[in-house]
Formats: sequence, C-alpha cells, structure tokens
Amino acid sequence: MKLISISALLFVIVLGALFIYVAEDIPDFGDPYSAPNCCIKLFDVNAAGLMDDLNQGVIPESLADKIEKRGLPLPLRVESIEEGKWDFFLVPEEKQQAFYPKEQKYYLIKKEGDKLGVYRYSLVIRWIEEGKEETEVPNMVTYGLADYRGYDTLGETSVIFTAGVSVLLLLRRRGKRPEAK
Amino acid sequence: MNTEKSETGEGKKRSGDVIVETVSRVMVPFIQLFALYVIMHGSSGPGGGFQGGVIFGASFVLLVIAFGIVNAGDRFPEAVNTALFSTGVYIYAGVGLLCIICSFGAAQYLNYGFLSLPVHFEERRALGMDFIEIGVGITVMAVIAEIFFNLAWKKEEDEGEE
Repeated sequence: MKLISISALLFVIVLGALFIYVAEDIPDFGDPYSAPNCCIKLFDVNAAGLMDDLNQGVIPESLADKIEKRGLPLPLRVESIEEGKWDFFLVPEEKQQAFYPKEQKYYLIKKEGDKLGVYRYSLVIRWIEEGKEETEVPNMVTYGLADYRGYDTLGETSVIFTAGVSVLLLLRRRGKRPEAK
Repeated sequence: MNTEKSETGEGKKRSGDVIVETVSRVMVPFIQLFALYVIMHGSSGPGGGFQGGVIFGASFVLLVIAFGIVNAGDRFPEAVNTALFSTGVYIYAGVGLLCIICSFGAAQYLNYGFLSLPVHFEERRALGMDFIEIGVGITVMAVIAEIFFNLAWKKEEDEGEE
C-alpha cells in the first residue's frame, strides 16, 4: 500500500471519529431547553448571599461585576418567573434606541443546588414571544425569514440569481433561432 | 409536439391543438393573479416571494407547453427576462440600503423600521418585508422562466438537427 493511501485512510478515520463525537453533542430534536431553542449556559456563581437580593428584585453587585468582567452587556432590571428562576432585562440606552427600541429579555438565572447558573436567551425566544408586536405581521415564518433573518434571505436570493446567470452563460440558446441554422 | 414536425414549412411552429391553446390562454392570467396574491399574502398567511415567484414562472412554462417555445418566447423576450432577474436582487439590496440612507446612518442594513414611510415603526417593518418579498418573487420568476426556456430551446434545436 502506498503512503498516500494509508494517510488518506487515517484521515478518513479521524474525520469519522470527529463527526461521531460532534453528533453526540447535538441536542435532542425538538428539545425546548436546548441551547439553540432556549438558552445557553455562560457560567456558574456561588448562590450564597445572592438569593436575598434576587428575591427583593435587586441585581446583586457581585453578579453584575462577573457579567461585566466577561464583556457581556449589563442587566438593569430583574424579574422573578417562578421559584428559583429569574429573568434579567437589558434597558436600551439613548444611543442604542435605534437598534433595540424596547427593553429586552437577556439573561436567565436558574438555581441549581447551591449554585446559580447564568444562562443567556437565544434569539428564538425573542422571535417567538415578541415578533408579532415588533413587526405587526401575524405570520411567524414570514417575519423570521424576511426580517430577523433578512441577510439569510438576501443570500438565498443571490444563490437563485447566480443559478440564473450560470444558465444564461452556459446553456444560452434563446438568442439563436433554430431556423437560422 | 409530433404535429410540429408536419408543419415545419411555416415560419413559426405551432402545436395546433385548439383546446390546449384556448384553455392555457384562459388559465394563464388567473395563474399569474394567484401568484401575485401569494406574494402579497405572504405576511398574513402561507406564501411569500419564493412560492409566488415559482407559481408565476409556472405560468410561462404553461405558455411554452401550449404554444411552443418560439411563440411563447416572443411573448416574454430574453432581454426583459435578463433585466428582471437582476432587478429583483436590486430591489432587495436597495431596500436594505434605503434603511441606512433614510436614517442617516443610524440604523443597520435591512432594518426596515427606518424607511421613510408615513406609518409607525412596526408597520414600516411589515411594509419593508412586503417590498423585499416582491424583489424575491421577481428574481425567482425570471430565473425559473430563464432555466426552462433555455432547456426547452435546446431540446427543439436538437430535434431540428435530426
């Protein structure tokens, strides 16, 4: 066997093992609490001393510091969902009103044993919960496709345009009449 | 298509079937109207630019089947078709650029809320979506027609050589 065949075989085996490893990490189909569907975990903090502040509707300073240290936007308002779960909201500044006119649900704080897990909501939550109010369009698919994912649809349109141009360049027959041949 | 070969003496080939020609002549405007309905209805029900564009393209496919490629091709000239499929992308990208221009650089590309329309923020987003759906529909329609016309023309050319 040649050297190149062996190295190609090894490459394929490593790639296959990598794919299997990645596939193990994909969340179950339709799992409402998976990272792309709900929220992604950022970090853990020790719950001691923070619970009272959270229950009173105040953001604990040590938690805000930890969020700021990681370069994430600072939350300005807290709201309790149920026992052991809180939402943190971002209130837009004057300068950012153009991009996010309303306050935005951003972090989810969940009590896990004696620790607090800090999660960040994915875009889908905002899309599902506030899309109709934000765009006045009742069809969730349309405002997702044309507004929240406008760049994506622009790319799709460009792909179709490219297909048309390719056909025009490679298979063009319309200009020549069959009779003229 | 067999009848075409017997009438090759004429300048333009015709399929010659009265029923097919009449039915398709009646149906094509309704198909096109339905395609426009699907495009404009995309924001409040099922539909949208891609689906409506394909239906519009299908009406030209029906024309080609009924009248033959030469006659149908004259109804939808190549120059118009070629211009249309870049027009659709230009409309889409242009609406995105207009958002930046209308807000003097404050908003992002494709942030429809900043188009200069006399309605409030949320309705502008809905209208911006309608504009880009029209652009998508034009592109899809022109590309479907382009691909089908070119393939059909090649078929006819090959048959002529036999």
